[in-house]
Order: sequence, then structure tokens, then C-alpha cells
Amino acid sequence: MSDFEEELIASLPEFLAHALELEVESRERYRDMAACMELHHNPEAAELFNEMARYSELHVREVLLRAEGVELPAMAPWGFKWTCGESPEVRQAEAAHYLMSRRQALELALCHETRARDFYLGVAMRSESAEVRALAQEMAGEEQVHVDLLTRWIAGADHGVPQEDLDPPNVVA
Amino acid sequence: MVSESARERPPTLSVAITGSGGSGAVTAGLILLEAVGQAGFYGLMTRSAGPQIRGGESAAMVRFSPRPVESMGDRFDLLVGLDWRSVGRFASEIPLDSRSEILADPAAGEVPDVLLAAGAAVRRAPFKSIAGVVPEGRVSMAALGALGAVLGLPLDALEAGARRVLAPRQASVVESAVGCIRHAYTVQPEAGRASLQPPSAPRDLWNISGNEAAGLGALRAGVRFVAAYPITPATEMLEWLAPRLEQLGGCLLQAEDELASINMVIGASFGGVPALTATSGPGLALMVEGLGLAVASETPVVVVDVMRVGPSTGIPTKSEQSDLNIALYGIHGDAPHLVLAPLSVGDCVFTTQWAAGLAEHLQATAIVLSDQSLGQSRAVTTPPAEPTLALSRRRRQAPDTAFVRYALTADGISPMAVPGEAGGIYAADGLEHNEAGVPSSLAADHQRQLAKRRRKLEGFDYGADWAEMRGDGPLCIITWGSSAGAVLEAAERMMAAGRSVRVIALRLLAPLNVEALAAALARTETLWVVEVNEGAQLFHYLHAHQAIPAGARSLARAGPLPLRPGEVLSALAGAS
Amino acid sequence: MSVPALKSTDYKSPVTPIWCPGCGHFAVLSAVTKALAYLGLPREQVALVSGIGCSSRLPAYVESYGFHGVHGRALAVAAGLKAAREDLTVLVAGGDGDGFSIGGNHLLHACRRNMDLTYIVMDNEVYGMTKGQASPTTAPEWRRSKLTPHGPGVRRFQPAAIALAAGASFIARGFSGDPSLLSRLLVQAIRHRGFSFLHVLSPCLTFRPDEKEWKQKVHPFADSPTSNAVEAARLIQADDGMSLGLIYAEDLPVWQPASECSASLADFEAEFRL
Repeated sequence: MSDFEEELIASLPEFLAHALELEVESRERYRDMAACMELHHNPEAAELFNEMARYSELHVREVLLRAEGVELPAMAPWGFKWTCGESPEVRQAEAAHYLMSRRQALELALCHETRARDFYLGVAMRSESAEVRALAQEMAGEEQVHVDLLTRWIAGADHGVPQEDLDPPNVVA
Repeated sequence: MVSESARERPPTLSVAITGSGGSGAVTAGLILLEAVGQAGFYGLMTRSAGPQIRGGESAAMVRFSPRPVESMGDRFDLLVGLDWRSVGRFASEIPLDSRSEILADPAAGEVPDVLLAAGAAVRRAPFKSIAGVVPEGRVSMAALGALGAVLGLPLDALEAGARRVLAPRQASVVESAVGCIRHAYTVQPEAGRASLQPPSAPRDLWNISGNEAAGLGALRAGVRFVAAYPITPATEMLEWLAPRLEQLGGCLLQAEDELASINMVIGASFGGVPALTATSGPGLALMVEGLGLAVASETPVVVVDVMRVGPSTGIPTKSEQSDLNIALYGIHGDAPHLVLAPLSVGDCVFTTQWAAGLAEHLQATAIVLSDQSLGQSRAVTTPPAEPTLALSRRRRQAPDTAFVRYALTADGISPMAVPGEAGGIYAADGLEHNEAGVPSSLAADHQRQLAKRRRKLEGFDYGADWAEMRGDGPLCIITWGSSAGAVLEAAERMMAAGRSVRVIALRLLAPLNVEALAAALARTETLWVVEVNEGAQLFHYLHAHQAIPAGARSLARAGPLPLRPGEVLSALAGAS
Repeated sequence: MSVPALKSTDYKSPVTPIWCPGCGHFAVLSAVTKALAYLGLPREQVALVSGIGCSSRLPAYVESYGFHGVHGRALAVAAGLKAAREDLTVLVAGGDGDGFSIGGNHLLHACRRNMDLTYIVMDNEVYGMTKGQASPTTAPEWRRSKLTPHGPGVRRFQPAAIALAAGASFIARGFSGDPSLLSRLLVQAIRHRGFSFLHVLSPCLTFRPDEKEWKQKVHPFADSPTSNAVEAARLIQADDGMSLGLIYAEDLPVWQPASECSASLADFEAEFRL
């Protein structure tokens, strides 16, 4: 949808900038979702999103570590070369509901993690820099761990049919 | 007779000039007012007009005296008719009697019966032929010259008045006017029955209208942003302010409507610039929503309501004091705010300045109830005083802790931050909120914020300016705003006749200083509340606060006619 | 002393939005924080003014000065603020009801004045906060409100066309499902000197679940942005209302008082002296 150029990520600094943005976005989106779920009194979903936020934070730190001493290029928010499809920022809006079950929260998280993995995989396959490919492969692997984890959790989770909301929406103002 | 009888106050003269179709009655009146001022008299000028945009009938009324004039009198000593078309419209506004004189040009036709009915004497002066002698001479200037001679005014004062009032015109217009005045003055027989000895000592006097005065008061208080929508009779205030705001580095924004005006004022004030708007009753009705927002968000704002006859469109060009109710009660919810009313043309400066200072200091909403009789009248008066209280916006001190915008303080006033100030970030809100400004629906927060907004106004010491109090005695008259002039004059006449009376003219109507009022009424046996509105709005307000005794009397009648001292005297005499 | 660059997270206030999970406005909030960070605007130099509605809650969630006013009047508050404080960056936020219904008159005149403001309208074609009534941009046949059981039956308000006719000098459309474009348009809007009208399609999943389809319906604006108002009018009238991108931007005269002090109060008082 955004008119970005379909260029490839060519250098390590550029890749790190993307990875950092992806992980920071990830963390912020999970934190937002967790806060939202807390506000809407859905502790189960909140807990899951908080956990995902923690994982993302770990990734952020990892990226920052790898980026030590590296001068990252300044990127405009619209300047990122996310591979085809939406940027990782796009929320899966339809999937969220304040009554979402743990399973639905897991599925939403799985969606995000899968997209992140796919991004890294895409870079790993197509970048012309060996260094970048290697790092991307590594990070794809880490995302894959999350994907597997989430998949397992989903398998073990109740097929929670979403409760029907007996309360009508409130007027707040 | 040389002046009004001894029953009335020491000498004043009231003159009316009427005409139509561009005859220049109003300009003549303006020149006359300026001239009496130049001669050292105090003066007051009002005017009246027909509904036409141009060419309609018009009348200028000037009253002057060696002592301050704050009301029109009960009668006119002199009526000058430039012509007689449709003058019947003004008959009720220009009371004449057997001691009055009518100065008329036989060439203009017979004086209408309605004016002769009271027995006034007619003095003839050929304005038209006098004017014909001077190149481009005008009847109105000839009449003015004749009038000046009859009144015993110095010719120099008349000329100075003409030059000042006509200054924006072409030089030829000024010279022909002056020429006309001089010629008419010199050919006029000796000073007539109605004349006053000019004061010997020069005075420091101003010639100012109520609308200009309110504008000046605003500027004195530091107002540098005005957003407004034109409305009769407030527009002149805005026109006076527009260029001068710019010259002081501020601005006036003409808004698309009053809804926008008040919100723009709020925006500018939020930005740290003292801001004000002026309107009349219909505009205030639209602004009420915005005033509530100002109260809830504690954003200082001032609205000057130049009241006119209501309700709804009413009579736009005439005066009434009938917006007290909407000023007091118009905001929905419990929204304490300030309501003030200037007591005279000159007092428009003081009261507006005071209101704007209070609004800034208390982070409050102030409504100033002026009216058409003040706004569109001109007075020759003493230079206006300034408020003595030091009033200013309380700002956030150097930060150690996080800034809490609506902090609960002892006096209810929370230090304020202004956009651009690092560390002072907050979001102002019309929603009820907690001390930090975060929207809240909790009962405790609402209670605390309500109490705070009330406390900051009611706990403040406004000093002595809440009312003008004169005299003492078992009879007391309470009044407010523009009615003060007529009431004070009525009281003076009573005291001259040996009757002791106290007048309390309220300048600060809300919050009401019930204690001070009670103290002032401590020895009162008979109490009257006088106001120009049909619903006795002040009377009911005072009763609602249990501020006046059950037996208090009310003199309350609607506009459009101005309140006269004799009317007050009659009511008090008739009732006892 | 150099100030370290702020990150977009620094522009987020600690307050959790009350919006329903999945609300489109989250993306707008995110885009605002990114745009402000990208532009490097000090937080205290930014003021966010809003009216009433779900989208008008935005100021509380942004770490900048904010003014949450009454329904429909945000543009007036913003105009007064900007007139008095030219130094501030003033953003205005609101919804389709706030902006096009009760606020309609103020919208017209704000466009005319072309003050240097950025107006973000989050359009979800419904009144969300009051439980789902039709708004001026709701389709005539939408029957899901008890207030208009037969549907509004009135043709839709045309935001872009009206903004153009009223004199806005920058018109763009974004979508909460394309946050990257949104940030870019926001930066352009803020940078543009004049009245920037940013129309954002921002679905309300609670009261307009059908708006999930917007994702499939939006498309990039087919033409390049134009600086010609006549051309812009043609493009906008031909548009299906789902085109995304910058449509029109022109340098037009900006109304902004900028007076220098050239007189004193004493001068004015002297005018009255006899």
C-alpha cells in the first residue's frame, strides 16, 4: 500500500536499523495491546501481550548490542523497506476484541511473529551482503522459535469460543 | 429661568438636537459635547435614530454641568429642530415642559403639536438663511452656532469642538462649518433663558464613549487578543480595538460567529495571551457553551456584553439591563464565574480593566455587563482611575516535581503553565478531571474540583470596589450598572431636600458579597432595588441569596427608555 | 547544550487510550508520535487541540500541550491559539461528526483563513462515542442506527471537495491500515505552510464492523499531487473517496497576524484628552 521502492537491504547498518525498528515497533504494539487489555479487564490477554512485549524487548537489546559501534542510518518512518505486504507496524485490527480469549491473543501474536520471521527470511534470501544474510538468518531463527512456541501454546489452548458480550457499549462522553 | 429649578440638583442644561435625512443632528451633538468639554463642563451625550440605514430621523441629546453628569435629566431645557420630519418618534425621549425652549427655523415649517403640547416657548432663528451666507454652509452648523450663543458657551470652545470632531473631513468642510458656527453665533441675540456660567478653572477632562472606554480598560489590563463577531451595539468597541491592538503587537480576529469567537479567545488565553471578546445578548447566548468550557478548564476569558433590549433580537439600538439572568445563570452545570457591571461611561474603563485582571488572576471567566446606554453614549468626564489590586496569572514556579495543573491549593488558584514552557505540559479539558488534568468521573474528583473553582472566587478579597456606596440613612437604594447614574442623582436631590438616603450601586454582582451587603444594610429600614428590566432580575437574585429583607421594594421596568432621576423619585414618593 | 533527539515513544503520554482494541485511531496516534519525532519538534512547542468524540481523545495520549474543548469548536480554539502564538506547532484532531456536522462552519472558515494549522480528521463514518449514530459521511442507506432507522437518506458530505472549495491549501487522505503512508502525509502536512487538511479513514470496529472491508477498497491515488485547484477539483469529484495519498498542495496566502509594537497606551489615552 505504501509506495516504497522494492529495493533490497544492502548493508549491515541498514539491516540493523530495520531490525531495531521492527523489534521496537513490536514491543510498543504489544505494550499498547497489553495496556488496552488491562484497561478492558482482560487479564489473560494482557498477560500474554506483556510476555510478548518482554520477548520483543530482549530482541531490542540484542539488536542494540549488535549495533554497538555501528552508525545506523537515520530512517524516515516511511522509508523502511519491508518486504512485500504490510509493514510490521500494521495492526491486525479485526483480530482484536476486548473479550478476546487467550487463544485469540496467541493467534494475534502468532500473526505478528510470523510476519517478523518472514521479513527476516526475505532479507536472508535476497540480500546481496553475506554479512546481512547471515544475521538475518539468525534473527529469522529466533523469530521461528517464537512462532513454534506460539503454535504449541495455541495447540494446547482451549478452543475458546469468544464469550458473547452481554453488556451494550457504554457512552463515555 | 437660568437653569433647572432648585428642586433639582445645581445647574445642568439638557439640549436635544433633532433632524432627519442627513441633516447632521448627531454631528452637531458631538461638536456640542466637545465644546462644553472645552469650556470646562462635564457632559453626557446620547442619541436616538429611526430604523433607516441612512436619511432617517435622528436626535442627539447633550446634558452638561459644572459637576459630573452621569445620567440624563428628567427634562430638556432646549430643543433644536433642524427639521420636523418624523420627530414624533422622539417625543417620549425628549420630555419638554413650560420652562423649555424650542429653537426653530421658520423655514422648516410649523413646530409639531406634539412638541408644543407641554407649553414650551418657541424662539425663532433662521438657520437656513444664515447657512446660506457661508459657502457650503450647513443648516446644522448654523443651528449649532445659534445654540451655542443661546447657551452662553464661549465661541472658541465651539470652534475647537468643530475642528476636533470634523478633523477627519476635508479642510473645506471644516472651514465652512466653522464659518457657519461663527456667523450664526455672532448674529444670534443675547444668551437666552437657558445658559450656564462656564467654570473658571481649566479641568483635566476626557471625551470618551462607553465602548471606547471598555476597549481602553481591556488594553490597560494587558489584553492583546480579541476575537469577535460584529453585533449592535458592541461593534464600535471592536472597531476601536482592532487597529490599536495591532499597534500594540496584538490582534483582532473577526470570527465567523460568536461560537468561534469565544473558542478563539479560549485558545489564545490558553496560549498565555490575555484575551477578550465583546458582544450583546444574542451573542452571549451563543457563547454560553464556551464560557462553561473556560470555567471547567480554568482558562481566563472576558466577555463584555453591551446589553440591548431583549429577548431574542429585541430592539438592537436601545438599552436594557435584562441580561443579568443569563450572565448569572446561563452556563450549564455549577460554573462559578465573575459578573461585573460598569456604573457609568467612564467606569467602563475601570470595570473592564478590573474584570480582565481578575480573570487572569483567578483563572476565571468574567462577564462585564455594559449596555447600549453606556456603550453608545459619550461622556466628558474625569480621567478614569486604575484598579489598585495587583492582578496577574499565577505561573508555575521552577520545577522540582512533576507539574500538576489543577493542584488543590489553599486559595483554589493553581499555578499555570503556558505552551512553550518545558516541563509544564498538560492537557486542558472541559471534561471533569483530577488534579493532573486527567479526565475523571470519580465523585471525589468532581467534588474537589468544584470546590476549588468555587473557593478561588469566593475566597478572594475583592477590596472596596465591589460597589459604590454613597450617603447614609434609613432609606437605601440598591442598583447596578448603568442605572447608577439616575439613582445617584435622585438620591442627591433627596439629600438636598433634607432626606437621608444611602445608595449601593453594585459593580461586582457575582460572587455576591453578602456579608458586606448585610453590613451596609444594617441600619436600613426601607430598601428599594432599582433596575431597568421587567423581570426584576437583580431583585430576585438578591432575594435568592437572602441578601435583602422580605419587605424590600422593587422598581423594575423594561427598556427602551432611559431611567431618569425623576422616575426614581416618583416611585419612592408614591410608595411611601 | 545539545538535546538528544527524541524517539517517537517520547511523544506518547503514559495515559492508556480508552479506544476499543482494534480501533483505527491507534495507528493515527502512532503516526503522530512518529511524525513529531521525525520533525524533531520539542514537545512543549506542540499543541494538540481537539473537540469531542473518540478521536478527540488524542491530545491526552500525546506528550505535548493539549486542549480538549467542546464539540465542533476545535478549529476555533486552534485559530485563537495560533493567532496569539505563532511560534507553536498547532495540530487539530477530531472526527467526522465533530468536524463535518457541528463543526462544519468552523471548517469552512478555517480553510478560508488558511492559517498554518494541521487538521487531522479521523473519519469512521459514524458517531462512535454516542453509540453509533449516522454521521455526515455515513452512506444514505445505512440503517443500523435507531435514530435513522430508514438510513440517513441524505447524500454524504464530501470532505475533500468542501475543504478545497473553502480554500484549504493542502488536501490528503490516509488510512489507519497504512501507517507508513500516514506518517509521511502527516510530516508533509505539518511542514506545509497553510491549512493542511488530512482526511484519515479510520475504521470503528465496534459500530461499523463492515469497515473491515476498507482494507480491500482503499487504493493509491492514481494521479500525482497537483498544485492547481481546478485540477484538484476535477480529481476529487472523480474520486471514489478511497484514494490515498497527497491530492493537492499549493502555496496560498496564510492568515497570521504579525504586528510589531508601534504605539503605546499613552498614545491612545491622549486621543481622549480634551
